[in-house]
Amino acid sequence: MGKTFAEKALGKAAGHEVSANEVVTVEPDFCMSHDNTGPISRTFKKIGVKKVWKPERLVVILDHGVPAPSSDHAVNHKEAREFMAEQGAPNFYDVSSDGGVCHQKFPEEGFALPGLVVIGSDSHTCTYGAFGAFATGIGRSEMAAAWATGQIWFKVPESMKINVRGKFKKGVSPKDFILKVMGDVKSDGADYMSVEFHGSGIDEMSVAGRMTLCNLGIEMGAKNAVCKPDRKVLDYIKGREKASNWEPLWADADAAYTKELNYDLGDIVPGIAKPHTVDNYAAIDEVKGTKINQAFLGSCTNGRMEDLREAAAILKGKRAAVRTIVIPASWNVYREAMRDGTLDTLLDAGCIVCNSGCGPCLGAHMGTLAPGEACVSTANRNFKGRMGDKDSFIYLASPYTVAASALKGELSDPREAL
Amino acid sequence: MSEVLKGRAWVFGDDVDTDLIYHNKYLAETDPKNMPQYSFEYYPGKEGFAKGVKPGDFVVAGKNFGCGSSREHAVYCLKEAGVPVILAETCSRIYYRNAINNAYPVLFVKGISDAIKAGKLNDGDELEVSLSAGEIKNATNGETFHGDAVSDLEKDIMSAGGLIPYLKSHKK
Amino acid sequence: MGKTMIMKIMDRASGRDVRIGERVWCNIDLSTARDFGGANCCLQFDEITDKQGKVWDPDKIAFTFDLQAPSHSEKVSNNQKIIREFAKKQGIKHVFDINWGIGQHVMLEHGLVKPGDVILGTDSHMNLLGAVAAFATGVGNTDIAASWIGGINWFRVPETLKVEVTGEFRRGVYMRDFLTLFVGEMGAGGLDFLSVEFSGNVIERSSLAERITLCSMVTEMSGKIGLILPNGRVLDWLAERVKSAGGSEEDVRARVKAITPDEDAPYFKTLRYDVSDLEPMVSCPDAPDNVKKVSEVAGAEVDQVHIGSCTNGRLDDIAAAFEVLKAGGFKVSPKVRTIITPSTREVMAKCAAAGYIEKFLNAGVVFTNPTCSLCTAEHYGAMPSGDVGCSTTNRNFIGKVGKGSHTYLMSPASAMATAVRGVITDPRELLR
Repeated sequence: MGKTFAEKALGKAAGHEVSANEVVTVEPDFCMSHDNTGPISRTFKKIGVKKVWKPERLVVILDHGVPAPSSDHAVNHKEAREFMAEQGAPNFYDVSSDGGVCHQKFPEEGFALPGLVVIGSDSHTCTYGAFGAFATGIGRSEMAAAWATGQIWFKVPESMKINVRGKFKKGVSPKDFILKVMGDVKSDGADYMSVEFHGSGIDEMSVAGRMTLCNLGIEMGAKNAVCKPDRKVLDYIKGREKASNWEPLWADADAAYTKELNYDLGDIVPGIAKPHTVDNYAAIDEVKGTKINQAFLGSCTNGRMEDLREAAAILKGKRAAVRTIVIPASWNVYREAMRDGTLDTLLDAGCIVCNSGCGPCLGAHMGTLAPGEACVSTANRNFKGRMGDKDSFIYLASPYTVAASALKGELSDPREAL
Repeated sequence: MSEVLKGRAWVFGDDVDTDLIYHNKYLAETDPKNMPQYSFEYYPGKEGFAKGVKPGDFVVAGKNFGCGSSREHAVYCLKEAGVPVILAETCSRIYYRNAINNAYPVLFVKGISDAIKAGKLNDGDELEVSLSAGEIKNATNGETFHGDAVSDLEKDIMSAGGLIPYLKSHKK
Repeated sequence: MGKTMIMKIMDRASGRDVRIGERVWCNIDLSTARDFGGANCCLQFDEITDKQGKVWDPDKIAFTFDLQAPSHSEKVSNNQKIIREFAKKQGIKHVFDINWGIGQHVMLEHGLVKPGDVILGTDSHMNLLGAVAAFATGVGNTDIAASWIGGINWFRVPETLKVEVTGEFRRGVYMRDFLTLFVGEMGAGGLDFLSVEFSGNVIERSSLAERITLCSMVTEMSGKIGLILPNGRVLDWLAERVKSAGGSEEDVRARVKAITPDEDAPYFKTLRYDVSDLEPMVSCPDAPDNVKKVSEVAGAEVDQVHIGSCTNGRLDDIAAAFEVLKAGGFKVSPKVRTIITPSTREVMAKCAAAGYIEKFLNAGVVFTNPTCSLCTAEHYGAMPSGDVGCSTTNRNFIGKVGKGSHTYLMSPASAMATAVRGVITDPRELLR
């Protein structure tokens, strides 16, 4: 019997063969945290340990409220800054134009590498599975414990295999696919599992697209989500690697799966996750015409270059009918979009282009919603009140659909706009 | 109206800006009734004002009270807390307008800035204030002060109950 | 006896022959509100009129969103929504939503402001519009709501102080430095209730950005308005903007003529300044009038530098910062968080076209969308307790941008020099 990806990755970290449902203790290769570093450092200090086990394994990227939108945020930032300095921890990404959303910056800086075990005090840490890492989100207390001991325990997860073939039709993108999967699997359908994406459909997908897929792993309840680290991934990480012990790992053909699903990308249509759960799927036809007050293009799910370009393709030469907020996922994305004219196109369309960060995704700043308002968003969560008032509504969609909807002020089919 | 108001003094210095009276952090609030809880939160040494102030207490300040922002919150938060009048040497222009427009009296009191600096007015002193006569007596130490008369237009707006009722009855 | 500029403006607005000290009812040309205070204006107007009332003239009302653009909290979002809905119901078309920038600047760029206008707004720095000789003043929401009923409000006709500024700025010294000196000399209450007329060759040669800087901080001295008579390229620019908004260029020029102060106008006092020997100046914590020379506090450690605001957020200001960054080798100190916020979308687009933004980003600067930003503790760049900031904004009251934080106010060039070195730095050290 062959091994799944999770069994191989955790086996490598444990130094011995492991199988699903076995409990292992491993040393994490990297520990990612963001603006919550301050609170974690307080818990860490309570443990009574002075030094982090390996300060160079900490990666701290401020992104949830940057520049600080309130003095409370500012205090958290300061705590993080001081903690990193006193620990002599070098991997600190402060408020500057070197920053960005942590799940974009972390790969850009070469920390997301095949075969590594990465833990992050953010649920969307699973994004790094797009690079073949075993990456999973954990809580603050557990992170404090990991800093102190250099150890974390996992129950080796069972795995779900999603076989993907075919090609997207025009106006359809990876976000539409993963929203469809969400609708099928439901928000607890992959609880505790490792979700593996296989097949030619994935092979042909860009690394950015795979990040969108893995990013939503947590929304199905998964421990991690992963794609095969192929040539595209190796090309991306080349020259960026921040560790040397990485190794491309992938599941054996005869590995055992708890569940298996099959999709053809050619069958996928533009999709929407309706309020207030990510698995509340509807094809665009069912919800077309729903009025919106705001559009948001950005986040760790869909704030990358190709996302901005897709939206620009629809908005070019036109005017958005509702307020449209664009937040590049990192300052590198921002620069690139500025160089190739994408930002100009978006500004000319009336979009407001903000500095890089998490923005309104979690309701901290840059576009929170008023009661009764609806937003179409490329982010990953549409829980009640996530982006502001508890009586507001969030529709999750692809960059294409967000742009097409922004033009009309209502949920719209991008295939008609292209 | 020859009524004499009696209450305790809360004493502030010169140039008390609107961020000290009502900080920009709470600008999104629109209901005046929710504003007193934030009064003077950022004023060093007066953080306890919001909890400690009782209806009838006076705010006593030096020159240029309420300088800075146009936020009417800085008037509402004191009016709603039951502070019947602000006693100050002078008051910033916008703050003054905002007070008059809400029929909230501000008495300009000559020499009060120096009196505060000389320790003749202190937190907790019992004051007796006659608005009509513009007279202030510090019952704790016997010091007295005199306030300026206000112009006719301001008086009219005040007695109409504020700018809105005034306009409704006088200007069409 | 002749008349000062403010008297002539009030003559026109009140239809009377005004005298200093009297209270007059003036017709309002533009009554504006922001996402701060604006919701209160709308709610109050609806309350007074039982939700039945129509505003006196929807074309003379404007809304601007800049306190939090985009919004950072549900409450502000809701306030913005209240305004949008009110504007829609009332047929008010001048709504500059979150994508435009700082209100006064946006309205100026859109040709809504003319010399001699009487303008209200829920912003204590409305009076920066005195840069084009409009009498604009910050007021509370009651004043605004009241003005929407009949288009009038009351003012006291103020005394006027005349300030003549002559000489020539040396390299590295800017209008902001003169302003800082002036604020220090006048003090926080020094211009109480006064109108100020700025004149002299420095003013006549000055750009719109410099005039805005100067007039914006009259508030910090408790003044009512600072006025500058539009001339030369500023007048041409203004006339062009008014024209593209559907107004008349001739009207703008005629208005300038009509409000030109008389030779024998009654000035309460005249102050004269020569800026030729001026050095870079700074407002030290925690008051705008706590003024020193930059050289006196050089070397002081700072944690954050912020360039922008209605006082110094124009293209000229950002260009001045850019010059210093260039002289400093296009790198800011990693010890300091450096944030630049353009005042409007137009300014941002010009920064992009000039290639500034990319250079700023590569130097490590955070470049934000146009908004008020750094002026409150609820927006980009709020500071934690104990941090020290350098900023080109107009107020540094204690805790203004975060409890227990302190701020130095200075010119964009001084602020950027400080960002480059990581400690307070005289920009002439880099520019020479």
